Amino acid sequence: MTTDSLLLGLVFAASLAGFCALSLAMDRHSEDVFGRGSTPGPWRRWLQLGGTALLCLSLGASLQAAGSAIGWVLWLGALTAAALTTVGLLSAVPGRFHWIASAAAVLALGAALLHLVLAALAAS
Amino acid sequence: MKEGFRQSMAWLHTWSGLLVGWVLFMVFAAGTASYFKDEITFWMKPELHAVAQNAVPPVKAVESAVAYLQQRAADSPRWFINLPNERQPSTDVLYLAPPAPAGAAAAVTGAKPGEKPRRRFDRASLDPATGEAVSAPRVTRGGEFFYRLHFDLHYMPALWARWIVGFCAMFMLVAIFSGIVTHKRIFKDFFTFRPKKGQRSWLDAHNVTAVLALPYHLMITYTGLVTLMFMYMPWGPQVAYKDRGGEQAFFSEAFPGGGRDQIKASGNRVPLAPIAPMMAQASAHWGGAAVGRVTVHQPNDANAVVSLTRAEGPQLSYDQPSMQFNGATGALIGAFGDVPKPAAETRGVLYGLHIGRFGDPLLRALFFLSGLAGCLMVATGLLMWAVKERQKFAKTLKRGGRVSFGLRLVDGLNLGAIAGLPVAMAAFFWANRLLPVDVAERGEAEIRWFFIVWGATAVLGLLRPTLRMWQAQLALGALLFAGLPVLNAFTGPAPLTVSLRTGPTSVAGFDLVVIALGLGLAGAAWIVERKRRKSIAKQAAAKTQPPPSTLATSGQGS
Repeated sequence: MTTDSLLLGLVFAASLAGFCALSLAMDRHSEDVFGRGSTPGPWRRWLQLGGTALLCLSLGASLQAAGSAIGWVLWLGALTAAALTTVGLLSAVPGRFHWIASAAAVLALGAALLHLVLAALAAS
Repeated sequence: MKEGFRQSMAWLHTWSGLLVGWVLFMVFAAGTASYFKDEITFWMKPELHAVAQNAVPPVKAVESAVAYLQQRAADSPRWFINLPNERQPSTDVLYLAPPAPAGAAAAVTGAKPGEKPRRRFDRASLDPATGEAVSAPRVTRGGEFFYRLHFDLHYMPALWARWIVGFCAMFMLVAIFSGIVTHKRIFKDFFTFRPKKGQRSWLDAHNVTAVLALPYHLMITYTGLVTLMFMYMPWGPQVAYKDRGGEQAFFSEAFPGGGRDQIKASGNRVPLAPIAPMMAQASAHWGGAAVGRVTVHQPNDANAVVSLTRAEGPQLSYDQPSMQFNGATGALIGAFGDVPKPAAETRGVLYGLHIGRFGDPLLRALFFLSGLAGCLMVATGLLMWAVKERQKFAKTLKRGGRVSFGLRLVDGLNLGAIAGLPVAMAAFFWANRLLPVDVAERGEAEIRWFFIVWGATAVLGLLRPTLRMWQAQLALGALLFAGLPVLNAFTGPAPLTVSLRTGPTSVAGFDLVVIALGLGLAGAAWIVERKRRKSIAKQAAAKTQPPPSTLATSGQGS
């Protein structure tokens, strides 16, 4: 049960962080968040890579949590929810967007680590 | 050439969407509500909220249900027993009233043949522990009404309705694909929403709700057509089974062990074999999965057949395996659907995806969210047509002229569909709690209130499609929805203060969701108010000084 809710939290946190990163890699949203004229610059590649990786992490967690059939449905649902949240955050709180995104990323990575540790403990 | 193609797709998108948009909005809204139809039904039967929530072993539930049915419907040709689960705490039994002579049979079984001449079904909700009918829950169609409404409509033959809805769904599919082609910047505008920018904002909102939930929209439209595919395209089975008994033979071969089998009574009375051992056998056969439904054909007859269907579990497919037993001897007849054929499984999965019953509450909440996005997509699409069309009349309006009949009609229909439907849905819930419990044909009376309110909002919308009217209806919807938890507190045993702490959780969930919906509608009403003030200020400014040639204002009307 606890590992389940941990995985579910991971699914949502990772997809939200992933979409936030992907949006920050775009000039328009970079301007939304950091002010006119700012571009992600050299960070663009890393944001895109990281965002994609987080979405993949979310997929992995989702398959793990709900099985290989329903996992895909859960993942697509979580993606929709996360993308809608991203759009909402961008237009409602652009000033704090990067903080929320970072928090989501930290949560996702923490949950992933915790899950791995717990799995290792359970295996040993 | 490329531009030409895209433009023709834009034309197709506009008109295929507009033509069926109002029906689609209703289908989307009612269908979205149907993801929680059991919870809605439960909320609408406050008498059940106090039933003890402790789980009863299914065997006990079946035994008490059989005892109940033996008392009242020993002669019935068929019993259906739906066992309790976490979504529905009572055992629901449904039995066909015995065939004529009705007078004598009714006296024996207690069935009231005159009450429901249409279906000849009698139903009861039982407390799983005691087998007693739960203190007469009020008669209501509950969430089943929305479920039926979204493909059977109402007040018309179901067959026509399904053709209409199927036609609209086909248009929806066309609108989705042409919309994808028309939308040049799917990835560039992926996260883009620019509020307070008139037509731009409507387009952004339409794109965001469409693109971000696109997997859902595609899936739900396509699988919706699949659920009724044997009705829309019956020719395959008709031809293939022409000489072998027609479509009925196809169905019983393709979906064996279902409730469709017709079993004739022998006339020899033999007591029904105990069902508990059958359940144990079936459950073991399914690797411990529970039995969800028990169907008894010709109970207490020598030809009796007991059919057990597996409970819905975490499988995508809608078709559940079943096992049949001889109802007189208790011997196993056969197991069906353990290894479904690929085609049947494909259909089962598509069907299952559409209705989403495999999901836990979280997954169904995600479906619900995507469904809301679908409602918003249809609504913003409809509104955008009106916004664009209105621009053509900017000059006329400035001179004090009037808009065309078509625009006025669309405005009115938009109002009645988009703002009116939530009001009607909320009114349905209010009627459920406020109508006297013993009013005749109570379920139908609630539905009548739904349509009375919806009709009233539509007529008012068509008569006066103004911002004021939008505001009034949205605000009314917000009030009605947000007021439901208050109503529940006064008319049921589980107000939010209780249900949040000790359950039932589904009642708490319903109350919280309607509060959220109410807030959403209130937000929409507030946006209209802002727009109204702006347009008034603009008009005032235009009166005091000759206007510098401003661009067409899209803020008017919608």
